Amino acid sequence: MSSEERDGKKPYERQMRGLYDRVNLSVGTLNRIIIVLSILLVAVIAFAISKSGYTVTFDSQGGTAVESQERMYGDLLDAPEDPTRQGFVFTGWYRDPDCTVVWDMEGEEVAESLTLYAGWAEEPSDVGNDSVLP
Amino acid sequence: MADNKSSAKEASKAASQNKKKIGDILLNNAMYIIILLAVIYISWRVPAFLGLSSIVNIISLTAAKLPIALGIGGCIVLTGTDISAGRVVGLSACISASLLTTTFKVFPDMTSAPPIIVVFLIVIVVGGVVGLVNGFSVANFKLHPFIVTLSTQLITYGVILMYLKNGTNNGQTLSGLTDSYRSLVTGTLFKIGNVAVPMYVLYAVILTVIMWIIWNKTTFGKNMFAVGSNEEAANVSGVNVTRTIMMVFVLAGVMYAITGFFDGARIASANANTGLNYECDAIAACVIGGVSFVGGIGRISGIVVGVLLLQIIFAGLNFLSVDANMLYIIKGLIILIACAIDMRKYLVRK
Amino acid sequence: MEALLRMENICKSFPGVKALDNVSLTVKAGTVHALMGENGAGKSTLMKCLFGVYSKDSGHIYLDGKEVSFRTSKEALENGVAMVHQELNQALKRNVMDNMWLGRFPKISKWCPLTSEKKMYDATKAVFDKLDVHVDPKTVMSTMPVSQRQMVEIAKAVSFNSRVIVFDEPTSSLTEEEVEHLFRIINMLRDQGCGIIYISHKMEEILRISDEVTIMRDGQWVATKAAKDLMMNEIIRLMVGRELTNRYPEKDNVVGEPMLEVKNMTAEYSLLRDVSFVARQGEVLGVAGLDGSGRTELLENIFGIATRRSGEVWLHGKRMMNRNARESLRNKFAMLTEERRATGIFGIRDIQANTTISSLPKYKNGPFLSDKKMYDATEWGIKAMETKTPSQKTQIRSLSGGNQQKVILARWLLTDPEVLLLDEPTRGIDVGAKYEIYELILNLAKQGKTVIMVSSEMPELLGVCDRILVMSGGRLAGEVDARNTSQEEIMTLAAKYV
Repeated sequence: MSSEERDGKKPYERQMRGLYDRVNLSVGTLNRIIIVLSILLVAVIAFAISKSGYTVTFDSQGGTAVESQERMYGDLLDAPEDPTRQGFVFTGWYRDPDCTVVWDMEGEEVAESLTLYAGWAEEPSDVGNDSVLP
Repeated sequence: MADNKSSAKEASKAASQNKKKIGDILLNNAMYIIILLAVIYISWRVPAFLGLSSIVNIISLTAAKLPIALGIGGCIVLTGTDISAGRVVGLSACISASLLTTTFKVFPDMTSAPPIIVVFLIVIVVGGVVGLVNGFSVANFKLHPFIVTLSTQLITYGVILMYLKNGTNNGQTLSGLTDSYRSLVTGTLFKIGNVAVPMYVLYAVILTVIMWIIWNKTTFGKNMFAVGSNEEAANVSGVNVTRTIMMVFVLAGVMYAITGFFDGARIASANANTGLNYECDAIAACVIGGVSFVGGIGRISGIVVGVLLLQIIFAGLNFLSVDANMLYIIKGLIILIACAIDMRKYLVRK
Repeated sequence: MEALLRMENICKSFPGVKALDNVSLTVKAGTVHALMGENGAGKSTLMKCLFGVYSKDSGHIYLDGKEVSFRTSKEALENGVAMVHQELNQALKRNVMDNMWLGRFPKISKWCPLTSEKKMYDATKAVFDKLDVHVDPKTVMSTMPVSQRQMVEIAKAVSFNSRVIVFDEPTSSLTEEEVEHLFRIINMLRDQGCGIIYISHKMEEILRISDEVTIMRDGQWVATKAAKDLMMNEIIRLMVGRELTNRYPEKDNVVGEPMLEVKNMTAEYSLLRDVSFVARQGEVLGVAGLDGSGRTELLENIFGIATRRSGEVWLHGKRMMNRNARESLRNKFAMLTEERRATGIFGIRDIQANTTISSLPKYKNGPFLSDKKMYDATEWGIKAMETKTPSQKTQIRSLSGGNQQKVILARWLLTDPEVLLLDEPTRGIDVGAKYEIYELILNLAKQGKTVIMVSSEMPELLGVCDRILVMSGGRLAGEVDARNTSQEEIMTLAAKYV
């Protein structure tokens, strides 16, 4: 035990501030930091709102390319022209590349940016189409 | 302290004191003010934001994110944190979804789903075990919770990936959940107008009540706050510090597991990314709700408010079609500001 | 001679304690000015106000007649005010010259921002030659003895061309020979016109080296006198300075049968060796000794919060293991720790939480805690201790030191202890509150509890205790009857194994 501690360093200096025990900022500086960060947050939100809109991209998975669409929250998608692919029949748009969750063009509203994947079934002349069905 | 000063100083300075007080109030509530302004703006742009279905949606989302925040709140009271939370949610969701399913891709030999209560207990045990590892390391090795939970976060993620490779699943998204599981969690609790309130809102309320009792009415809760505010003094006062820390983390792990159990049914699928970054939202919610990193301070009601505020702003931005990428930046800034404000409240003026 | 440094009417308060009350200090150029006072007299606080570690509440500091107010010790250093700390804050893994030039590494030239090892080496060497220190500037700090590390610190102060140099207990870890060397350096600095502030407890040293002595007590200036006019007795009188009458309540506790026996207590991680003693029912047993003599460690080992190597604790003829605080609590021991803020209070929790934490199971209704029971217990604690608090929901950190101590005492009394271990129970408490604490201690003894009390303040031990154990160098140096002993006898015993 040093005299420094005895003269009261420890009791007074350790303020029990948990994670902030070692913070040396003055409150004034902190005020400025909070103000700057708040302004930054408002600016970012404003920027985000100005750039608002969700992009729906269409991955035709080997078929002909389909243009992406810009939509706002709650909008419906315009059904794009069906893509084509040699030897396959287009079965619809899906939420996942494995084509298990169908996207309903008439009923489902856009609530985020997303990518839709084209589902393909082999030409009906061949019998096996197991790779496609959900 | 402000009171002392103002009484000591002359009346001429009272005005500047007043100004300072207003400044204090504005700064200490900056986050709430920003959120309020955002809500006003959003409801002006999109009136549907204040509609019934939107409000029910926000409440449901709050209920879904509440358990994890309640768990993490305890860790923050101990001046710690827990960044393994999101992955534990994911693991729990994957286990639930793999067992309570009709397709059994992970366990091809199974033919019928086990009773829901069994699965529920399994995920609780799994979450508890992860929490135990966290708590044990924090309590005994005196490691900072950040480091410990970082490692369990990685381990848990690895386990999720391995688990999803099991059987014929090959790492894919798990879906095809049983109806009983889905209806237990997402079934209709009651209807307001024609908007259904899902069952998990009720469960979240029950969990909140349980956690409130644990925090306020048990020896464990009192000990937790004591350890959080001064670990040394708690030890000297006869508190079992090690056991308290471990129990806080185990309890947190159980809460994550319950979140995951609900999330599997709520989203109707589970994959390796389920629960990703949930801990960020939960930590932010806690700090906004006044659970301070200073340790030993926090209220359940604060956490509920924190989660609610976060969901309001995110739902609002969603209404304005703000891109998810931007939301990450906004989330980060919110955490930073919340911490700065929290710090400001407890910095003792030298 | 002109005044080099003048500190005038410095005041500084901490929550609950007035640490400095109108203290003035004048250091003249070319003199050594000793600053003396008991522990807690405010010497270090005064120095911290000078160096900007604390901001002073009021008062002025003049350096060379110009008012200064340093915000950091770096700023002070750049203005020629340096401090050689007792606790050396050095980068131990780095070498001597790195430490000397830390924060102001010399550049190769104005145009080349790389640091110049050569310049650094030469400059270090030059300072060392001046001070007659023989250390290679490239030696790694951690490989050097403390005395040499201290020389580096002094050399650093000199390299800043410091005019005022503060030495805080510089000789506490030096051998006699090293002390001589240090004094040569101090004399040399003085002859160069520096003003030296020398803080020490060792009176022989003070009388030998200093020109003037300022004595402080309880945060107040007491006297400034020329060293040659002072005798050792007078210094002690000025330092202690209090009248012994009426500072302590009347002792009317009845000492009974032996109750607690400690046998061969030896600690694993501290110097505590082979301490045995017996304490009786209704007795206040004091433990005296210098800092680091193992007083605190003794209590910690009895209470089980430090690792014990060997030793036994017997209460009422039964062996108590006391492996940790919980077990000791069950065995009806209680311990008030020395560092109240660090290991006593839960600062941001309220009075109720602070009072009930050690006896929570008592307040259960079924599995849940009863608010009413906790409220009643806290109310009892506040009444019994006469704690001054606005309400139970007040944060404990807003109370004064004395009232905080009462809350902690209430916490322990609620556990129904038989043995109370009190480590510096009146540290950092105002004089009035001290009296109330003494009363409480004696009341406890009257109730048939055994109180073991460690204190650095000898008059307090003499005034409150029945017997006093004197620790020295981790061992029990002797045991004296408080009624017929003197401070001198205790001091002699305390120095036995140093």
